[in-house]
Amino acid sequence: MQKDKIFEPKIIGFLCNWCSYAGADLAGTSRINYPPNLRVIRVMCSGRVNPMHVVAALQNGADGVLIGGCHPGECHYEQGNYLARRRITVLRKLLEYIGIDPRRVKMTWVSAAEGKKFADVVKKVTEDIKEIGPMQHFRRRNKW
Amino acid sequence: MVNEKQLKEEVKKIVSRDDVKYVIGYEKGTYGFQAAPSFAFTPEEADKFIFSPLCVNNLAVYLMLEEKLPLHKNEKEDTRKIGLIVKGCDSRAVVQIIQERGLKREEVVLIGIPCRGIIDPKKINAKFPNQMKNVDVNEDGEKFLIKVDGATHNIPKDELLFEKCKHCENPNPVIYDMLIGKEVKTLKKENYDDIKSLEKKSLKEKWEYWEKQFEKCIRCYACRNACPMCYCKECMVDQLSPQWIRRSVNLSENTVWNIMRAYHLAGRCIGCGECERACPMDIPLTKLNKKIEKDVKEMFDYMPGMDAEEKPLLAMFKPDDPEEFIL
Repeated sequence: MQKDKIFEPKIIGFLCNWCSYAGADLAGTSRINYPPNLRVIRVMCSGRVNPMHVVAALQNGADGVLIGGCHPGECHYEQGNYLARRRITVLRKLLEYIGIDPRRVKMTWVSAAEGKKFADVVKKVTEDIKEIGPMQHFRRRNKW
Repeated sequence: MVNEKQLKEEVKKIVSRDDVKYVIGYEKGTYGFQAAPSFAFTPEEADKFIFSPLCVNNLAVYLMLEEKLPLHKNEKEDTRKIGLIVKGCDSRAVVQIIQERGLKREEVVLIGIPCRGIIDPKKINAKFPNQMKNVDVNEDGEKFLIKVDGATHNIPKDELLFEKCKHCENPNPVIYDMLIGKEVKTLKKENYDDIKSLEKKSLKEKWEYWEKQFEKCIRCYACRNACPMCYCKECMVDQLSPQWIRRSVNLSENTVWNIMRAYHLAGRCIGCGECERACPMDIPLTKLNKKIEKDVKEMFDYMPGMDAEEKPLLAMFKPDDPEEFIL
């Protein structure tokens, strides 16, 4: 292994089925380039994302987490993204207090028509996390 | 000082009611500066009830700990009420449980006691170590009168009080059916000085601090069991599928457990400090809880455990919640 290998972060993206996931799809079909560091998990709503999912992702090898939802007021389930926003706000404050850079947990509103915005967001998040460096604080090293 | 005679009278009256199953209160502990939780099923048992500045336990936890066995055929559910002695913070825990529909208001009878501050067992045991006999503690204005080996010690309250009691804004019960003694007037204000000073440090210093704390954790889950708000039927750490947190005790699992414990209390923790008192490894858990309490107060203008009619914090939203971090 080379020692000075460039750090390529792993980012987990929880994208909501109705907007962000469709936005990511549009970015693909419109052939917009964006970094391949994002691993997408489709969820039915950003309100589905339990803060435990975020912490578990960080523990199991992700360097960052991106949560994508519909724009406020446009949620398919009317209020899921508002609830997710509250949860993630509190979680980020807690992570920052414990000493983990809150930039590792990001949230974004991307509608199904915003393929360009999705690509920009992924670029921004990847750059941020490259700057912060790998997640070392509480990564799981044991296998049991 | 609470009139113990009046307290016993009230408890006796309540226990002898047909619709009350038992009353939970405090009795003298076995040795030293202890007060133990006590259950009175009959009026005679109420004679041992006490209330002193040593009554640390938050009794609201017992409301949710009672195991309800499956009913036999033709057996009717026991719908009798449970009596409970509450201090200011305990009553907020009850409000919060009612708000979350864990209990109904008519299922409990609350005997409120205005609280003038509770003694921290760690502090008093450091001052008077190895007390084998039960020690009497009385209060007189701003002092505690402690009788040890025939001599009476006068100690200012500030030296012995819990940290939480020094900044307690709600010494009077928020809800109660009857109040023993007069309401306490307080000018104390929560200023979150500890939290603010830790917040100001850099990320690296903060992690170094918490890393040390979480490494101590032995994951006995005493913090969970002592907490009146931790009453999930199956706790996240006991789940096997999915197994969010593994059983091994190491920094990674300990950190995640402590993050999730604190997070699960976001907008629910009423700051009774039982988790920290129960912790055998002296992890400053209230520092985590208070941090969330402070953020929630600043960002959402919400105080848990004040109004049983309000919705829980994370089950509601305002369209103009802060979202400066959203891309």
